[in-house]
Amino acid sequence: MNKVMTVDVLSSIKGATPSEAINKLFEVINKANLSTGDSVNNSNKSAVSVESLREDLVVGSSELEKQLIVENFPKEKNGYLVVAKVIEA
Amino acid sequence: MQSQIKHTQSQIKHIHQQLVSKHISCVDLVQQKLDLLKQNSNGSVNALLDTYALELAQAVDAKIAKGENIGLLEGIPFGVKDVFMLQGTYTTASSDFLKQYKSAYTASAIQKLLDAGAIPIVKENCDSFGHGSSNENTIFGAVKNAQDETLVAGGSSGGSAVNVAKDYTVFSIGGDTGGSVRQPAGYNGVYGLKPTYGRISRYGLMAYASSTDCVGPLAKSVEDIRIVLNTISGKDIKDQTTYDSSQIDETTLENASGIKAVGYFKNLLENDAMDPTIKADFMDSLEKLKAKGIQVKALDFLDADTLVSTYYILAMAETASNLSRLDGTNYGNRINAENLIESYAVTRSENFSEESKRRIVGGNQVLSQGFSDEIYLKSLAIRDKISADFEGFFQDVDIVLSPVTPGLPPKVGDSLKDPLAMYLSDAFTVGFSLGQLPTLTVPKGTATGIQITAAKTEDERVLQFAHLLEETL
Repeated sequence: MNKVMTVDVLSSIKGATPSEAINKLFEVINKANLSTGDSVNNSNKSAVSVESLREDLVVGSSELEKQLIVENFPKEKNGYLVVAKVIEA
Repeated sequence: MQSQIKHTQSQIKHIHQQLVSKHISCVDLVQQKLDLLKQNSNGSVNALLDTYALELAQAVDAKIAKGENIGLLEGIPFGVKDVFMLQGTYTTASSDFLKQYKSAYTASAIQKLLDAGAIPIVKENCDSFGHGSSNENTIFGAVKNAQDETLVAGGSSGGSAVNVAKDYTVFSIGGDTGGSVRQPAGYNGVYGLKPTYGRISRYGLMAYASSTDCVGPLAKSVEDIRIVLNTISGKDIKDQTTYDSSQIDETTLENASGIKAVGYFKNLLENDAMDPTIKADFMDSLEKLKAKGIQVKALDFLDADTLVSTYYILAMAETASNLSRLDGTNYGNRINAENLIESYAVTRSENFSEESKRRIVGGNQVLSQGFSDEIYLKSLAIRDKISADFEGFFQDVDIVLSPVTPGLPPKVGDSLKDPLAMYLSDAFTVGFSLGQLPTLTVPKGTATGIQITAAKTEDERVLQFAHLLEETL
């Protein structure tokens, strides 16, 4: 089934609506003429070849790094990090 | 041996000599800069790193007092755009979302500067998450132009450009996705380099649009740009798009004899939005190059509207994806609501600025079913065409020159009223970002400078030509 999602839901931003300024950018691309032969070849030259992939290593965090990660956590209660309430139908 | 180069006065070398000869102590130097930053009326500071910087300065002084040698960058105070991680410091991206966020680790480029002994003294104001060309999209207040405070500093690395222009930092490290180093450099009269994509690691730079994000130095001379570039370039296992590059030697910059022909985009200069003075000054600069025996060729490029639209569509798609991680779950300013989905929505609605929301929503539109083929894939195809065009141009010319901006810096407040006009003001910078090419703003030739671009990985050639241009203009 094809479920239509509005941009506010897609973006998780309440009341979000498409902007006039950005719609104008879309219009330009819609009207742009690509000459014959121009197509997406996705020649992504930044892609990493399989041979060049780094080793899959687990690198431990320093104590300071761990402490900062905990400090950045939005909520703490009695020494526990509190996650947002999860109630799904 | 003392260099014969006279036209690039390196502040780094000058200050290094002052430190070594004990003409100034490092603590005094850093304190002077901190005092200037604290008092500044341009709004370029998000946070001062005073205690940390002064501790590092004391260590440099102790080394000098013991008669030990110090490296060229040791003790040199620099600024860091507030989108780079520096362990233990606030890294806010000028946003409400990360107002209280402390970096857990340090960006690779910043770490290399720390390893070389340079001293970070300030986290610099910028457009929130890099979303802006005026440095008005920030919770810390608009950054005002170094030369005229009624005008914007440009963006998104506006704080960095102002700090360099006003001598509050010796150099600064900015981020350039579609012109965010080059345009504020031009607006404030300093040098700003966007290197070839992948030359400097992006690890620890908050992601905006990953396929064009670059780390870039801003400084007051080509020589200082070269010194910093050499220090922070190189392959990094933490950013797999990086590549190995050679050090650029100072002496090779003096020899631009291999540069025979430059090109320019005639059609972009004919755009109605082009300021007539910038156009006239740019054409005059080309004439001076011709008089020096450089061949000047007009190139036919895409129109400004298509360039800007292609860039923004791809950048918005990438930023919508990159910023989806910001939901208040593990870090950032979480706002709780009745359930998880509501918590995400309220957190994101309340914490992102209007401009960031505009780009996230636009990006999600671009990537959604029904739009993606017509808009996103077509934009990718245009980007491929741009890359192919550049390959063709560089068969024919060694360097491409262009103005940095079509107009002068707007007044503070004007860009927020008209986002489309702000996007279009990036017409000269975004093409080189899409092409992933090395481009330097030189603050000469026009009121907002001239951009020098070479083929991919030819960053050295860009700096060589900058020397030639300085001699010529």
